[in-house]
Amino acid sequence: MTTASAPLIELSNATKHYPGVLALDDVDFRMSVGEVRALLGKNGAGKSTLIKVLGGTERLNSGTLRVAGREVNFKNPKDAIEYGIATVHQELASVPEMSVAENISLGRWTTRPVTGIAWKEVSTVAKAALAHVGVELPLDARLSTLSLAQAQLVEIARALSLGAKLLILDEPTSSLAVHEVDLLLQVVKRLSERGIGVIYISHRMDEIERLASSVTVMRDGRNVGDLSAGEATPQRVVNLMVGNADPGDPVEAIPTHAGDVALTVTGLTIPHRVIDASFEVREGEVVGLAGLLGSGRTEILRAIVGAQPGAAGAISLDGKPLRRRTIRSTRAAGIFLTPEDRRAEGAVVMLGVDENLVMASWNKVSSAGIIPRERMRETVTATIKKLSIKVPRRDVEIATLSGGNQQKVVIGKALNAAPRILLMDEPTRGVDVEAKAQIYTLIRRLAAGGIGVLVVSSETEELLEVCDRILVLRSGRIHENLPIHDVTRDSLFEHMIRRESDD
Amino acid sequence: MTSARIDAPTTRETGPSAGLWVRRHANEVGLVGAIVILYVVLAPLAPNFLSSANQFNILRDAAFVGIIAWGMTLVLIAGEIDISVGANAAFSGVVLALMITHGVPIILACVLVILLGTLIGLGAGALRALFDIPSFIVTLALWLGLRGLAEVMSSAVPVVIPDLGFQNLGGGNIGGFPNPAIFMVVLLVIFIFISRRTVFGRSVYAVGGNAEAAKLSGIPVPLIRMSVFAITGCLASFAGVLFASRLGSGNSEAATGLEFDVIAAVVVGGTSLFGGRGSMIGTLLGVLFIAALGNGLVLMGVDPFMKNVVRGIVILVAVFVNIVSTKRLSRSR
Repeated sequence: MTTASAPLIELSNATKHYPGVLALDDVDFRMSVGEVRALLGKNGAGKSTLIKVLGGTERLNSGTLRVAGREVNFKNPKDAIEYGIATVHQELASVPEMSVAENISLGRWTTRPVTGIAWKEVSTVAKAALAHVGVELPLDARLSTLSLAQAQLVEIARALSLGAKLLILDEPTSSLAVHEVDLLLQVVKRLSERGIGVIYISHRMDEIERLASSVTVMRDGRNVGDLSAGEATPQRVVNLMVGNADPGDPVEAIPTHAGDVALTVTGLTIPHRVIDASFEVREGEVVGLAGLLGSGRTEILRAIVGAQPGAAGAISLDGKPLRRRTIRSTRAAGIFLTPEDRRAEGAVVMLGVDENLVMASWNKVSSAGIIPRERMRETVTATIKKLSIKVPRRDVEIATLSGGNQQKVVIGKALNAAPRILLMDEPTRGVDVEAKAQIYTLIRRLAAGGIGVLVVSSETEELLEVCDRILVLRSGRIHENLPIHDVTRDSLFEHMIRRESDD
Repeated sequence: MTSARIDAPTTRETGPSAGLWVRRHANEVGLVGAIVILYVVLAPLAPNFLSSANQFNILRDAAFVGIIAWGMTLVLIAGEIDISVGANAAFSGVVLALMITHGVPIILACVLVILLGTLIGLGAGALRALFDIPSFIVTLALWLGLRGLAEVMSSAVPVVIPDLGFQNLGGGNIGGFPNPAIFMVVLLVIFIFISRRTVFGRSVYAVGGNAEAAKLSGIPVPLIRMSVFAITGCLASFAGVLFASRLGSGNSEAATGLEFDVIAAVVVGGTSLFGGRGSMIGTLLGVLFIAALGNGLVLMGVDPFMKNVVRGIVILVAVFVNIVSTKRLSRSR
């Protein structure tokens, strides 16, 4: 199908805008047969939009896409697959209670009249696809019994059985354990040797070095650099990713004074994620926890509050060890977590702002289990005012609010529980610029008031804005403890993506 | 972002406009409309439908469904289901009658039976909350087991309660209002209070709306789940006591299919089967709707089998209209 001269895919002058955001800005992007391309960029740089356009889930506003020299216009992922472009998403799209073989030919099972699905052929197809990938898996095993890495390989096998010429892998290693990463890298290498192109989103320099034949860096919706593997030094990549962008209005400088050690974490180990992490958080101090997606950041926060099964290690508050931690016991001790995913874990979106605000502090607004309206109204009104939450009514459903206001409600809920230590997982994800700045100011103010804050964030700028000190988590270990005046955007990012051999 | 949202005052203390009130109570307004339509249709078709004696009949029928429905509303809001309530009511009636025939004082027997019903509910809740057995399965097993046990204990014949005065509890009335209806109203007031103004009630909404968020907020999720089943168990056995009193006997075949009337009433009342949403007033309207419909069909002389077909269709239509209209009315928010 492909002629020698035509590239596998060629995207020219691609532009895509969402309301208020220019996600792709005149992007050119081409891939040749058998190339492995690492796609890098910060959150919001346009990587996701680019792979969505290639995978058929988003349509361009302008620009052209050619596959093997032919201009195409994908309306949906099915169109893209017909042209040999398949995407394996972070959230795997397989059916957990079906077998490996069924999943590989999901929805395309060969059927015969009367006898129905021809299981033999389904198995044959699956076997061939797995052989193509170069792995062996029991065909009749249910997906739910496999590891995440194996499930990922099944999806890759499915993509190949669909005739994929270009495979798009969206942060494939972010949720894998260290030894599973190697297996995946071998598979990708083998596929590229057979002429299958791979686009691979990752920020781990060691993986990129082992795997990629070329690198594309995106920033603010533009392709800011196509580099060969040799040119892509960490320094160069970071420079391209960060650029010389205007740092924006500085957040109101609120001085904090670190007091006594409040939270001490010693030897925290979480299977397949975190190895022997030790650190402390003082009263009135904002500590950042930096690390790539999948580095174990979220798990550390969850382990501290007792919501991470299998975590081992000692945690103490004011020198008093917290044994047999549960969410209720750590909350009572004064540790509170605002989770990463607001809709899934942070708020009850079908309930009102008022109820969400007092959900973690009923004892504050009730006596003998009964809620006096007046007291609840006072607390809620005070919190709304304090955090300047924009709501038409106190009892409006959270679901109707903007992301920033939803996040403020989640933070307000935590504050009403009067925490001594506040753990914040991605406190500004999906939040607009104005609300972001307000949340930063709020975090600084909380610390100035004596609360110890531990912030996890994928955005280096965010950590640099709000933290007094930043811990860097890499390959499951805490490698650095950097006072804020010793870090720059570039150096922080380099610490996060650095290879182990550089240490 | 619209500028309207940004410019909106942080909190608005003025009373809500009529339009807003209707939008926020779309569900209840729709149900009142449905009941009015039902009355308008049934009045000319069903003889004596509007007579005060018949209206009291409707109230009495509504009471047995309603008393349990208050608890069932909490169960559904918590994202659970309890289909054992009819069997629990029959079982309680049989146990009560047996106790009384064996010489246990009536008041003590009533207290013990209701306590037993509560413990049965608590046990079902514990299986759900602590071992993650789906509540449908737990209560399905209970539905079979309790009804079977009642049949075994009574040899499937009514156990007569040899005390005529006791029949007053479930069969009597005050100023025309049937006693069960009075219990229903008293319990309704209590449950409105529980659901709106107590930490427990609001925690039920939180658990059903998002159990993960509730857990991270320190709400004792397993305890809440166990409690809602204990409540339906308690109410079901109380309804069983009233039933036995009205019939003058403990009957293992009593309250057959009651669980489905109760669940239908709660769902017609706008409570979500997926949890997190629902109101006692909605359930009250659902109960009245189901009771009036059943009564009207009897008066019209509809064949009992055909009656079930009609009830099935009307319940489906009511829920359909309710969901569609609630969506439409609340969209402009």
